[in-house]
Amino acid sequence: MAPLEPWEKVIVDLDAFSQTTHGKQSCTDCHGGVQSPEKDAAHEGLIASPSSMPEKYCAECHQEQVATYPTALHSTQQGYWTAINARSVPENHPALEGMFNNHCATCHTTCGECHVSQPKNVGGGLFTGHVFEKTPPMTRSCTACHGSRVGNEFLGKNEGFPGDVHFREGRMNCVKCHDGADLHGSTSDAMSADANRYVGMEEPKCVDCHPTAAPGGDSNPMHQSHGNLLSCQVCHSITYTSCDGCHVAISEKSGKPFFETQATYSTFLIGRNPIQTEERPYLYVPVRHVPVDPDSYKYYGDNLLPNFNALPTWVYATPHNIQKNTPQNASCAVCHGSDGTIFLTADKVKAEELEANQSVIVNTLPPALESIASAPAMPASHLEHVSNSCTACHATGIRNAPVFPENHAAYQDVNCSGCHKLQQ
Amino acid sequence: MNSKLLSILIVTAFLLFACGTRQTTAIPSPIETEMPVETEAVAEVQPEADECVACHTDQQRLIDTAKPEEAAESESKGVG
Repeated sequence: MAPLEPWEKVIVDLDAFSQTTHGKQSCTDCHGGVQSPEKDAAHEGLIASPSSMPEKYCAECHQEQVATYPTALHSTQQGYWTAINARSVPENHPALEGMFNNHCATCHTTCGECHVSQPKNVGGGLFTGHVFEKTPPMTRSCTACHGSRVGNEFLGKNEGFPGDVHFREGRMNCVKCHDGADLHGSTSDAMSADANRYVGMEEPKCVDCHPTAAPGGDSNPMHQSHGNLLSCQVCHSITYTSCDGCHVAISEKSGKPFFETQATYSTFLIGRNPIQTEERPYLYVPVRHVPVDPDSYKYYGDNLLPNFNALPTWVYATPHNIQKNTPQNASCAVCHGSDGTIFLTADKVKAEELEANQSVIVNTLPPALESIASAPAMPASHLEHVSNSCTACHATGIRNAPVFPENHAAYQDVNCSGCHKLQQ
Repeated sequence: MNSKLLSILIVTAFLLFACGTRQTTAIPSPIETEMPVETEAVAEVQPEADECVACHTDQQRLIDTAKPEEAAESESKGVG
């Protein structure tokens, strides 16, 4: 996005603006200042961003949104703190708060930074002569901030990889899926310490628009056999961006905050779901490396993330480059009986990050199709078993149950019925 | 007799004329129905905003009065 000239940022299109509801008010109603032909005098007491005080300037007409927005992640930025808190300890918080205010807090978004101007974080400037946009313009608002990963993936800016089909074919913008109700927060949103964008209901959810892709919904054998074992993105997203080793500091030269990312690279890796919940029951999801490092905040103090291993560095990802046909859904053999190229196996994780990523690393590759076909069926009588734990009997041989072979050791109970279908 | 008949005709003609005139004045004129629109337009004028608008709609004036912006050379490296 090209930066705007200073005059472009503040020029008002009176013809357009005066036709709108907001344009019926006088400038000073919202922006303060005084009537004067002299700039300095006119700007005395100027409120450049009235919506930074939404209760005062927005609530009279937008009561519902103002009531819930304080709980929204764009306002709280709780996602950052959820991760920072998990990896740090309370005594490190003062130093980390200083770091956060210098490097992260600029991503906080006001009402106006989505609806009337570009976010301050990318230089600001009115969108369209001060006309308020109910739907934020995608590239000047949403992907202006969410650009390096989501924006580039969605718009097809990663060389060699097409943009998301919803954009290429459907010309959909962000709010088609991420609607106002999601972005404005809700009174039921938890202000809890573990909030982030993947906590709670899965919203948006692919099957809301593609209901037949849900288990039992259509005749596609891939949808039916994988059900909720795989997130949709496992089969329908393509190569996306990962980053390593972001470090932040204050410049000695300019006194301004800056960051440095050690590496950025393209990956597509399937890992185990580290945040498996009822809402996100998938066993496998695409995982993206986030640029955190034990020394990311070293400028602000030593060992500020003593619990670095509490969270994986390869995280649950929802790449925004959905395609109907992808390399991995071209054939069953890409996953079943493969050499593990597209799985996050331990050899692809840095030695110093192995402990942090135990919940994500794939230890056992999906069996080959022939193995599945030849696996003994589960007796129909097993339907009546009180215990749903296969290993309770088949690990020990209790009640004459056949003990599973050594190469099954890494499988978990939940995997058994994937190969051992219930006898009809 | 003729004068009596003449008087009745004159009175009748007067009454008919009077009734006709009343009916005409009872129809609202198009000018009267447009009045509220004119009033509303006057209420929208915001003379207080003139100085702000005068400057912020004038590209050259904004260029002339803009505070010079330092070329913000980012010291950050890599993808943010």
